[in-house]
Amino acid sequence: MKEYIDSGILEVFVMGVATDEEVKELMYMKAKYPEVNEALKQLEIDMEKIAADMALAPPPGTWDKIEDEIDGLIRRETYTQPVKFRTDHGHNGYEKTAPPEQFISIESESNHMRLHKSWRWVFAGVFVLGKIFLGFAIYFYLENRQTQQQLQELKTEIRELKKK
Amino acid sequence: MNPQLQTSAPLARSNSEALRSLYNSYAAKLLGYIFEVVQNKTVAEQYLAAVFNEVPNEIEELSKAGVNVLCRLQIIARRKLANFFETLDTETERKAGQNMPWVNNRYIAQMTPLQQQVFLGAYYQCKTTSHIAKELNKTEEEVRKTLKECFTIIRNGRNDERVH
Repeated sequence: MKEYIDSGILEVFVMGVATDEEVKELMYMKAKYPEVNEALKQLEIDMEKIAADMALAPPPGTWDKIEDEIDGLIRRETYTQPVKFRTDHGHNGYEKTAPPEQFISIESESNHMRLHKSWRWVFAGVFVLGKIFLGFAIYFYLENRQTQQQLQELKTEIRELKKK
Repeated sequence: MNPQLQTSAPLARSNSEALRSLYNSYAAKLLGYIFEVVQNKTVAEQYLAAVFNEVPNEIEELSKAGVNVLCRLQIIARRKLANFFETLDTETERKAGQNMPWVNNRYIAQMTPLQQQVFLGAYYQCKTTSHIAKELNKTEEEVRKTLKECFTIIRNGRNDERVH
């Protein structure tokens, strides 16, 4: 067990970079062996300690902005992709700040388009109707060809009868 | 301190209250963490908002028993910050982003250069251990052991503080 704890897997897990298999294994080990559970708790305390060491109080009003954004997202019923924020490098950055995103790109770069799921029934209907029309077209084409042949035969018979 | 004990009850009450409670408990720690990476107050606040915008999607995961909320929030932050490193334009910026000389943490200051590289890569830059191993020309096992050493340094530092 000590070997498992010493392997560094717990550290990888708390950093969020463990693979799915490693996470599953760790969850199993944590449930089965109290020493793994204890080691993990200690690590989490370490993480809290590092974070507390560098904590910075957000400026007043930050929560209101976040709440407004979340309300906006809920209203739109969709979550947008994370915005790529960046710094204006070359300085600590307290004075120089990147302007917030003012515009939303409406020109899509993807070649794919998204449709509502209900469209699949429309496409299925069109496909079935297409097949039915194709069947009718083939039927009437063959029928017409047969009629033309019979007509031709009748004409030949009439000509022969006239000759007699 | 057990974070899930603080947050489980509010999460059950309502999402809005739970979010507020999470914000009150973790915003400062997260902002400090993000600021260490981006070195820009405005950008750090934007990332903080982006993290909390993501929280409604993760609320179930965060409210599970045994989940460390801060670690989970930091994982969300790391996912968002992965974009930040993509926005670094010049080679100089990228190199600075790799080494993060601005990180001013007393625990990190006690680490060897190799330990710092491993810790910074995993903790701030969301790199997998295999990625770091490749970069440093080490085995993944060595990187994991080094990461474990980093946490031992942090824990020893914490214990020393307790003694004094």
